[in-house]
Amino acid sequence: MTDDRRAQFEAECRAAGLTLSARDRELLYDMWVDWLPQRDRLRAEVPTPEEEPWR
Amino acid sequence: MAMTIADLDLHGVSDALARRDVTSVQATEEYLGRIERHDSVLRAYITVMADHALARAKAADAEAERGRRRGPLHGVPIAVKDLIAVAGVRMTSGSQLFADHVATRDAFVTRRLYDAGAVILGKLAMHEWAFGRPATEGSFPTGRNPWDVRRAPAGSSSGSAVAAAAGLCAGALGSDTGGSIRGPASMTGLVGHKPTYGLVSRSGVLAMCWSLDHVGPMTRGVWDSAALLQTIAGADPDDTTTRSAKVQDYLSGLETGARGLRLGVLRRFYVEYPQLDDEVRAAALQAFDVLASEGATLGDVDAPSLDLSMAAWAPFLAETYEYHAQNLRTRPEGYRESLRPRLYMGALFSGADYLRAQRLRERFRREVAALFDRVDLLVFPGQMTPAVRFEDFPMTGLAPASLRFTAPWNLLGLPAVTVPCGFTRGGLPVSIQIVGRPFDDAAVLRLARAYERLTDWHARRPDPAGWRL
Repeated sequence: MTDDRRAQFEAECRAAGLTLSARDRELLYDMWVDWLPQRDRLRAEVPTPEEEPWR
Repeated sequence: MAMTIADLDLHGVSDALARRDVTSVQATEEYLGRIERHDSVLRAYITVMADHALARAKAADAEAERGRRRGPLHGVPIAVKDLIAVAGVRMTSGSQLFADHVATRDAFVTRRLYDAGAVILGKLAMHEWAFGRPATEGSFPTGRNPWDVRRAPAGSSSGSAVAAAAGLCAGALGSDTGGSIRGPASMTGLVGHKPTYGLVSRSGVLAMCWSLDHVGPMTRGVWDSAALLQTIAGADPDDTTTRSAKVQDYLSGLETGARGLRLGVLRRFYVEYPQLDDEVRAAALQAFDVLASEGATLGDVDAPSLDLSMAAWAPFLAETYEYHAQNLRTRPEGYRESLRPRLYMGALFSGADYLRAQRLRERFRREVAALFDRVDLLVFPGQMTPAVRFEDFPMTGLAPASLRFTAPWNLLGLPAVTVPCGFTRGGLPVSIQIVGRPFDDAAVLRLARAYERLTDWHARRPDPAGWRL
């Protein structure tokens, strides 16, 4: 599970084009893991078709 | 002890100047003297503009001698957060990267302040790029809480809070993307006003997150904030979000009182939040009773989307990352280590996340708009806890839990003001928060003033005897 999570994090960093020092990478990983439940909540919400983006 | 200019709120300073009890030069010299005496401990200022301020004060006095007074800010010494441009003065955003950056033109709000005759004393300390953490060391310390110098004033408008609370200026401007005006105002016993999004221009103000940034007043009293807002509000062609700004008269209705106002208490999400400090909760509930005794009607209301508001706030940090991406690639050492991961996090939200957040934001907007069919204003505790010691400030994580008290209202861009509502047994200020309909900042200020005039919390001052390390 942790390996999968780590692999996902590394893939996301690559996709975002981030170049990080080893120290920043570890700090960012901890922060990313900590925030995952919130991000999962965001992604689990399914807006209705009427809920268009804020303008 | 004799009352001095620095003991007064902005209203008092304005009145003293209008009565000619004091000149602007005298008032400016008094503040500069206090900065000289106390700022080595409080660290509210990054740049003190002494010569600049005295020249403006002299000009204000000369105008007053000729019988011209531009308005309530004429000759009043104030200060601005160091992300607001003053032409010819360095503007650091609390960052080593901008240590030598000098603004070439005034921000819109700076021009408005000068046009109103105000004197700008200097540029105020802040958390690095409005998103860093408190710092007591290094090139840009973020300021110490004048109620207890071992505690942080919170941020990011930390210096604005410290300076206004400690009488190192008559009032200040800050900025607020997730609570950066209201948080520090609450921690230092000030009124903090995040105006409606689009009411106050951000042109000439360094960004944290374009969609959520607001500029607003931080002052000892409600009248003070109303007077500052009156000065800085309005459309600016250089900030298109102000295109539809609806400016009200913020001063004339201030004394109307609370009678007849329908107040919605956001009890489930805020009052019953388990991490809410007991003393903050008790003080807020007492404040609600005071408002009820004055003729306001209170009832509980709820918006289910509050539960998703932090999840929806964070993807906007993609904007913050975009702002810093180039410097993060080429000069990462120019940022403190505690800030860098928070900035990088913005790169890890997808475009779909950002749009999902925008859609949930719209859902949240509809829910709250429906509440405003039933109530005039929303009320709840203004902060999660009183000011914490520097060593207890959360230094990890993307967003502290306390942000739920403020950040949802940046998402909606609604006017929100925190007003002091008491002190803890340990002598630390606490607040309530009032949120209103879009562009109805006058109603928010009216209720804040209705509460303020029934209490004396706003009249208490921190004791300079405690300003030593």
